[in-house]
Parts: sequence; structure tokens; C-alpha cells
Amino acid sequence: MTQFNVHRIGPEIKVGAFDISFTNASLFMIISSVAILLIFNLGSKKNSLLPNKIQLLAELSYTFVSKMINDTAGSKAKPYFAFIFSLFMFVLFCNMFGMIPYTFTVTSHIIVTFILASFIFIGVTVIGFIKHGFGYLKLFVPSGVPAVLLPLIVVIEIISYLSRPISLSVRLFANMMAGHTMMKVFGGFVISLGIVGGWLPLSFSVALTGLEILVAFLQAYVFAILTCIYLNDALNLHH
Amino acid sequence: MPKDQFKTRLEIAKKKISKKNLYDNKNNPSSIGTAFKLSTELVSAVAVGTIIGFIFDKTFGTKPWFILIFFFVGVVAGITNVIRSAKNMQK
Repeated sequence: MTQFNVHRIGPEIKVGAFDISFTNASLFMIISSVAILLIFNLGSKKNSLLPNKIQLLAELSYTFVSKMINDTAGSKAKPYFAFIFSLFMFVLFCNMFGMIPYTFTVTSHIIVTFILASFIFIGVTVIGFIKHGFGYLKLFVPSGVPAVLLPLIVVIEIISYLSRPISLSVRLFANMMAGHTMMKVFGGFVISLGIVGGWLPLSFSVALTGLEILVAFLQAYVFAILTCIYLNDALNLHH
Repeated sequence: MPKDQFKTRLEIAKKKISKKNLYDNKNNPSSIGTAFKLSTELVSAVAVGTIIGFIFDKTFGTKPWFILIFFFVGVVAGITNVIRSAKNMQK
């Protein structure tokens, strides 16, 4: 489908064997980052007691994320607030920009979400090793397991640990791609059934648009909250 | 004593509020999200297990064996993942 095509904008740039030219995916990442920066700059410029709309938006999202971190990862995770906040905002804005017709949804490509997820995974692992040293490996050895079963359990635990970035990235990517594909399919029905029978799929697509906006928000939320949970595992080691 | 009575009533009211919040939190992040979370957790562990088995087979040249073993280990890991996150949801 054409809405998922990545194409080059401007000249081709090559570093060694890698093609790093500017594409529409990079364009929409930049657009969403600039939009976030704009909203939060405008929102924090004038700290009036009665907030205007942009300030309200900025403050609401700030308290939302800060409450989420406090609830899931505790007060120890406070230093990582900036990272989780920007992650949540970036995913949310990429999802939401994808809902505008004729735009490109960055998060509907698995490579983007997988890079985000593996960055989180590596970061959380490094934090765990810094905080606990080699004691972090205790995460793979649950207490109260008979010694006979231990090798098997450790392998299972390692696999379940390694599966985290994959489940994180596949979830976001599959939700976004499935939603956009479904909307495309229903849009196709509207065209092929014409003015006589096209009203039913049209009403479906209106409802689906609402659902997709919900999913776009929900997936950004799930992405951020799972990051908090993994961070919680790394910071407060109790298994 | 009116003061004691007030205290107990305050306690009861506080308990009610905390219960209500818990209930709200549980229902808030829509059921689609949680359902999808469980399914991806199961599938991703199986995928990781199979990939590890494939890599071992490639390096040691023992074609079907490691992939078979690690596939089933991956399934078990996926099931433990699902059970763990379901337990987390119930908290």
C-alpha cells in the first residue's frame, strides 16, 4: 500500500554501505519532534495562574506522565522522568500525526519501533548492572527453585527477558499497521460499492477513525508504562 | 464520643475512595490493550526461542535439534510471561 512506502526526499546520501538519505519517515519524525518542542515551549513560556489551552495541555501531559512513573516504578525512577516523558510524547505524536490523511505513520514500520524498544532494553540492562553489579543476574534465578530444575529455569528466564524488546516493538507496530490497513480496506469498500451501498462501510470507517485515535493514544501509553515496569525491575530488584 | 465517631467515619470514607480508585485504574487502560499485551508476550518469547535455536544450529551444524529444543523452551517462557503479566494485572 502506498501509505506505507518509504521514499527518498532530496539527494541520496551514502556512508559506506549504508543509505542514510532523508526520507519521508525522517521528515515525519522531525515534524513530530518540532511539534512537541513548539507545544512545550509555548506552554511553559508564560506561567500564568489561569492557564491557556497550550499551557493546560503541557501541564496535563506532565502530570500524567509523572503520576504514571510514580505509580509503576516508584520514586527511584524520578531521574529517568525526562527520558520516559520524551519517549511517550514522541510515540504519541508519531501515532497522532499518522491519523491525519496523506501523512506517513512512522510507528507503522517495525524497524522504527524495534530500534526504540532495543534502545530501552539496552538502557535498562545497563542501568541494572550499574545499580546492582553482577547481582543483577539474580533476576534470572528465581528463589525457591530446586537445584535440579535450575538450568532449565535460567534458560527460560533468559528467553523471557530477551523477548521484552520484541514484544514491545511488535505490539506498537502491529497495532498501528493493522489499524491503518483496516481503514484502507473499508475505504476501498466505499469506492467499490459506490453511492448505493457505500454508506455502511463509510459509517464503519468513521467509527474506526475514532477507535484508531484511541489506539494511537493507548499504544503510546502502553509503550511508556512497560518502559516504567522494566525500569522498575532494574531499579528495585525483587524477584 | 463525637470525635472518635468522626475518625471512624473518615477511615471508612477513605477506604471507599481508595477502593474506587483501584477499580477505576483497573478498567481504565481498555481491555484491547491488555489482551494484545498478553498475546504479543506469548508470541515474542516463542520467536526468541526459535531464533536462538536457529543460531545454535547454524554455528554447531546440528540441524534440527537445537531449534526443536529451544522452540519448546520458548513456548514455556511465553507461558510464564503470560502468567506473570496476568498476575501483575490482578494486583
